[in-house]
Amino acid sequence: MEKPKVSLDVLFSALADDVEQTQERVSKAKEVLTSPLDTEIGSTPYEVVYQEDRVKLKHYKSVATQQVKTPMLIVYALINRETMLDLQPGRSVVQTLLNSGVDLYMIDWGYPTRKDRYLTIDDHVNGYMDNVVDFICEHSGSPQINIMGICMGGTFSVIYSALHPEKIKNLITTVSPTNFDTDQGLLHIWMKGLNADSMVESFGNIPGDFMNLGFLLLNPARLIIDKYVGFWENMDDKSFVENFVRMEKWIFDSPDIPGETFRQFVKDFYQDNLLIQNKLVIGDQRVDLKNITMPILNFYGHFDHLVPPDACNKLADAVSSEDVQDICLETGHIGIYVSSKTQMQFAPKIVEWLKERDDAVNQDVDVIDIRGETRIA
Amino acid sequence: MSDSQPIQPIHAAESTKPEVTEPEPTESEASKHQSRTILENWIKSSSKFWENMAEEWTDRMAEMPSPDKSAAKLANAWFSTMKTMQSMASTVSEPRKMELISDGVNPMPELFVKMMAPAWKSFFNLQKDFFARSTRVGESALSYNFGNLDKEAFKVFTDMYEKEFRRLLLVPPLGLTRVYQERMSHAADRFNLFQGDVSEFLAQLFLPIEKSMKIMQEELAAMADTGNLPGNSKAYYQIWLKILENSYMTLFKSPEYTKTLSKTLDSLAEFSVARQEMLYDYLQFLPIPTDRDMDELYKEIYLLKKRIKDLEKQSKSKVKETNKLFVKKSKPRN
Repeated sequence: MEKPKVSLDVLFSALADDVEQTQERVSKAKEVLTSPLDTEIGSTPYEVVYQEDRVKLKHYKSVATQQVKTPMLIVYALINRETMLDLQPGRSVVQTLLNSGVDLYMIDWGYPTRKDRYLTIDDHVNGYMDNVVDFICEHSGSPQINIMGICMGGTFSVIYSALHPEKIKNLITTVSPTNFDTDQGLLHIWMKGLNADSMVESFGNIPGDFMNLGFLLLNPARLIIDKYVGFWENMDDKSFVENFVRMEKWIFDSPDIPGETFRQFVKDFYQDNLLIQNKLVIGDQRVDLKNITMPILNFYGHFDHLVPPDACNKLADAVSSEDVQDICLETGHIGIYVSSKTQMQFAPKIVEWLKERDDAVNQDVDVIDIRGETRIA
Repeated sequence: MSDSQPIQPIHAAESTKPEVTEPEPTESEASKHQSRTILENWIKSSSKFWENMAEEWTDRMAEMPSPDKSAAKLANAWFSTMKTMQSMASTVSEPRKMELISDGVNPMPELFVKMMAPAWKSFFNLQKDFFARSTRVGESALSYNFGNLDKEAFKVFTDMYEKEFRRLLLVPPLGLTRVYQERMSHAADRFNLFQGDVSEFLAQLFLPIEKSMKIMQEELAAMADTGNLPGNSKAYYQIWLKILENSYMTLFKSPEYTKTLSKTLDSLAEFSVARQEMLYDYLQFLPIPTDRDMDELYKEIYLLKKRIKDLEKQSKSKVKETNKLFVKKSKPRN
């Protein structure tokens, strides 16, 4: 019999060590999991200053002297919740912006119910968003606002900026798809064959859990298996467990998506790619991206499997703005906001960029020739 | 039934005659005799039953102190029914009438068989056809090549269902309740189609796991050959996870998967609609609104709200314009 090329003694010894370590870990984990855990998310204090139907406007309490004159509105996606930007102390985009003296407002889209199934993108953009922007202008006394969009909220912000350019001073888009004709991301491939009509007819609103299942299936090996193996290996670490639970709370807190909005987003965006071609019609208005003349800061993730770089990096060429900066971070879709690596590259960069453009209120903006992509590793 | 006489069995009376002169009864006569005896006994016992019931009620009625109007009405109606049943039972139990009835019983099975024959024939034909179809089941499957069973098994199921069994489920229902029956059959049909599609989809999702195990074995064999086998379990897990992730990516990017995914979602949606339609039928008998009712209402509210908001915006902007004009006009001229 041929002699094994790896010593079995070594293998068995490693296995025995593993068993011993696991026993120790489980014993410690029992204490951690049964002790009081701080897993609160979205804990930064705010006040609801405006409400229309299910939509609320949060105004965060300033903690530093205002350093950016123009107020900022964050528009989150209709998928998942805006609490992701304030997930945990020390890794909160909201806190970083507040600490840097930004007057911060954020839309909370709430939880659509069946009565919201007829709400279209027009209702969200020209209805809720426009009313919120008008309210902020009145509330803050500023004639314009800075707008920052997250994912689908970024796409809405681009549409809004094209339809109401006079109200937007600076546009910041983060992992926001504008070009849907790409096969870089699985979502873009799958959406092409999706029958949105039949889904909306049968479900009314698209259930959040259904969307979540779809997202898990984008990478089952990592999201269904490896993620929980990681938890098993670190469940004796209280801080790890707290942050893991915070992320679980956020990721499975998924409001349903209004049916008509879903139908239009799949058909006009994913399947026909109308936005980037200036053919999209919202309400009774055609969205012409050439109407966008304000400065744009466009972030996206190099390893984003939901909104790949190819879906984001065509915006600069489609708009009339001469002050456009693309920033590609070496991270994924959520990592931009929550990873420790990008904490110094994301929110601080936004503040710095806004400050540079803040003094130019109602003046012609100096053209800064910074078009092109910046890669930050 | 005090006036009823005990019935003497006819054949028992005849049995007193000398045995030699009596011929053996034919099979038909024996059968006739047997059925007559059964009928006689049954009629006697039922007439006794109604008699007892009537007597019991008469006694109870007498015991009742002062029944209220409606109770008395009910009791009278019941009593009269008892009496009718009792007199009917007494009448038919008279020996001569019973003989007449008993004579009429014998041809009944023959008549029944005659009436039922066409129905049985149709049923047997249907059954024969069903079994014939069942034996043809394999024929439909041939084109899918059973050698490739792991991939094709669910397609075979769907195909068999669509070609063979579905027809039976979709036989057009008739009569007053045909619409409801049709909706139930439709929901069952859509459920079966969805089952086939979702099974195929889940089987596809399982393929990368199976594939990753095979590749893992091959890689480990190659590592063992070169003496590079990892020394700890985590390293093995990482190798497997990477293979699994790649296998899933390959599957997810394939047109087959996209097609199966779309098909499954479509059939889920169709089943969901068919199930709702069926539920609406049940819910219409309850005093609660259905999704369909609520959707109509929601749409009206949505359109009304939209109109009101538009009008509100228009009115606000007009007020603003007017204010601006007013401010301009009221500015003192130098």
